[in-house]
Amino acid sequence: MSNSTTDDSLITTEVQTDSNDGREAPAAGTAVAARDLDVFYGDEQAIDDVTMEIPEKRVTALIGPSGCGKSTFLRCINRMNDMIEICRVEGDVEFGGKNVYDPDVDPVALRRKIGMVFQKPNPFPKSIRDNVAYGLKIQDFDGDVDQRVEESLKGAALWDEVKDQLDSSGLELSGGQQQRLCIARAIAPDPEVILMDEPTSALDPVAASKIEDLIDDLAEEYTVIIVTHNMQQAARISDRTAVFLTGGELVEYDDTAKIFEDPEEQRVEDYITGKFG
Amino acid sequence: MATENPNADGFGEVSRVRGIAFEYLSFGASVFGLVALGVLLVYVAIDAFDLANASPEWLLTYFLTLVVPFIVFCLYSANDRDVTRRALVALGGGLVAVAVLFSAIEALLVPIPRLNWQLAYLFVVAAPVTAYLAYVGSGGRVGAVGFGLLGRLVGGAALGLAVGTLFLVFDSLVWFLAYTLGVLPAVGLYAFGRVRESPRARTAATPVGLVGLTAAVFLRDVIATYPSDLIIYLWTIAVPVAAAGALLVADRRGRVAAAAVGGVPLAAATAGGFLAAGAGLPAPTVLLAIALTGVPTAVYVSRVVDGGEGLAGLGLPLLLAAGAIAGALIVEALGVPAPNPWLDASFLSEAPSRTPSEAGLYPAIVGSVIIIAMVAVLSFALGVGTSVFLEEYTPGTGPLGTLTRILQVNIANLAAVPSVVYGLLGLGLFANLLGLGIGTAVTAALTLSLLILPITIISAQEAIRSVPDDLRRGSDAMGATRWQTTKNVVLPEAMPGILTGTILALGRAIGETAPLIMIGAATTVFRAPDSLFSRFSAMPMQIYTWAGFPQADFRYGVVAAGVITLLIILVGMNGTAILLRNRAERGS
Repeated sequence: MSNSTTDDSLITTEVQTDSNDGREAPAAGTAVAARDLDVFYGDEQAIDDVTMEIPEKRVTALIGPSGCGKSTFLRCINRMNDMIEICRVEGDVEFGGKNVYDPDVDPVALRRKIGMVFQKPNPFPKSIRDNVAYGLKIQDFDGDVDQRVEESLKGAALWDEVKDQLDSSGLELSGGQQQRLCIARAIAPDPEVILMDEPTSALDPVAASKIEDLIDDLAEEYTVIIVTHNMQQAARISDRTAVFLTGGELVEYDDTAKIFEDPEEQRVEDYITGKFG
Repeated sequence: MATENPNADGFGEVSRVRGIAFEYLSFGASVFGLVALGVLLVYVAIDAFDLANASPEWLLTYFLTLVVPFIVFCLYSANDRDVTRRALVALGGGLVAVAVLFSAIEALLVPIPRLNWQLAYLFVVAAPVTAYLAYVGSGGRVGAVGFGLLGRLVGGAALGLAVGTLFLVFDSLVWFLAYTLGVLPAVGLYAFGRVRESPRARTAATPVGLVGLTAAVFLRDVIATYPSDLIIYLWTIAVPVAAAGALLVADRRGRVAAAAVGGVPLAAATAGGFLAAGAGLPAPTVLLAIALTGVPTAVYVSRVVDGGEGLAGLGLPLLLAAGAIAGALIVEALGVPAPNPWLDASFLSEAPSRTPSEAGLYPAIVGSVIIIAMVAVLSFALGVGTSVFLEEYTPGTGPLGTLTRILQVNIANLAAVPSVVYGLLGLGLFANLLGLGIGTAVTAALTLSLLILPITIISAQEAIRSVPDDLRRGSDAMGATRWQTTKNVVLPEAMPGILTGTILALGRAIGETAPLIMIGAATTVFRAPDSLFSRFSAMPMQIYTWAGFPQADFRYGVVAAGVITLLIILVGMNGTAILLRNRAERGS
């Protein structure tokens, strides 16, 4: 397991040379880019002048201690922070060559292009089929819904377990299955980016490792941005890692192998080795 | 060292006296309340059914032909030796205990009015034991089937009667056109879209339906000739219900069974309707009652036969009917004096009268049913709409947030405004200002809706608030608009709670008298209302009026019969609503 992950990160290191400062476009192309991003909750600053480019079709992990703003950063990308009334965002987040905070951007339309998976599995109290088809339904999808449901469940490695019970409630599944159902729900409308906010922290290790394998596969088709508290997890599954530290500061952003083996900043090394955080 | 241990004598004791005192006081208070209400209901039932004049032989006959077979059925279904033994002990021991205790009280303390020990046994022992056994019996497969069938028979008949009553005031011709031009094409298009996977047909269904409904309203006065009411109900209600029943069965049991399930009740309903027309009964109501009873029953029987379990339960309605007939025959043959109940068929189907024995509640029942149907629709729609707006759409901060909080507080205050004040509001606003007329059904319905609206809103808000935020955020993150999230996620999840609040509020509305007096509802009307703007009376109004009559027969017999009718309709209505709610809960 760990061997193969190291291989992965070596390969990606090769692809993304010269991306150390995070400003030049990596070879894979940029999916999401933040420029001079500040986020405030009331008077409190949650993100402090973050600039980073997230490569497409790669797994990018955001790590850092609690309250460092990594989840806030994630929610800026699909403007879920709009739901929080006291939240104020300054700076740009570019997605698809457009600043998502431009006044002419409809956040609802934006979210249809960006899937999101939450910390706690939150399937709707509907049948498994209706859960997966939810995004298609609200977008008035015109094609074959059943086929898309099957593809998405296969994509989330859940099809074999639930193909005989598509009409039973999504709440009857186990926690790990529910989280994979939520992933199937997120990929069904075929988004370009999938945001994951600590997707395995509410799951047992076996279920979590299934999700990790799945994230590896998802990166072949989607850009995955994952927030995690678990540094081993970040080391195992991600190609790039961004370390946030208290105050919402992006301290270091580089290839995962580099961050975990030879970080530039002493603070990052302290955090990763557990001396701090 | 051990001797120095301060806990050597144990850990001491902590007094629980206050808690225990509180526990028993609360228990005593609730038991006292329940017993008082129970005694009242027993006396009301005795008056309504004239049980004080029931001879012991009459009671014994029906006990043997009706109650005993039912108990045996329940015990057979429960199939539990312990339950059987306990039931026999309770019934037998209770008989002795009640007889001894009752005679002792009568002989030594005070004579108990209008009760004898047989009746006391009936109410104190036989009825609770039977209810308990029915509960236990319904747990078995046979009992579940039997009660399921019985429920569909009674519920279907009640629904048919209620729908028939509503069409007394709602224009059946508009409904005929609306169904033919709007509902039928829209449903047809939608079904076509589902089967052929054509989203265009599905999206077209709504506009087509709306155009049809609008056309129906305009064409109502243009078209000159219409089919008879009987044909209209056959075409617009009986046939669709039968078709729906047939479709439900067709999936699993094939065409022949489907044709039987849909066709047999439809034929029976049609025949019943035409026969009733000849016999002078209200033909459309008979048609509706038979169709709405027959189709669900047929579907249910078909499913039970399909499942192959608990087939014996299908005999329960027959058992009860046979028991009732046998009891009547024996009473007739032996010449046992039978009680002459106030609450009988003529009480339910006749108009009020000056003589107690001819007094009836029919116009008031119709009035109440119509008002409550309108109140249910109005308060549900307005209540859900307002609570969704307050919970999902208004922000928590800023000037609008402040306005929302003021609204919240005032809605809570409105729930405490006395109903007489609402009556005054209804009189001023609906009757006079809007000119809907003093004492009309529509004024009453609007006033009562306003009265229960705060309760509906508050409980619906509570239900919406209890939907986890995780679900909302999950839906928002999928790119759902606020409306889509509310419609697809929040409302389905909150619906059981919303329905619970609405049911409780409707229970209050059906019993209200004060606002009806204020808006000038008639105390007594002799004809059932035939439009929304005709004068009407409601059951509580009529009962209140009777209670003021000088004759004792009115005050004791007729009022009791009215109260029992009101309670049965209320319980039936709430029961149906609770069943629907439980179904909604299981569906989610």
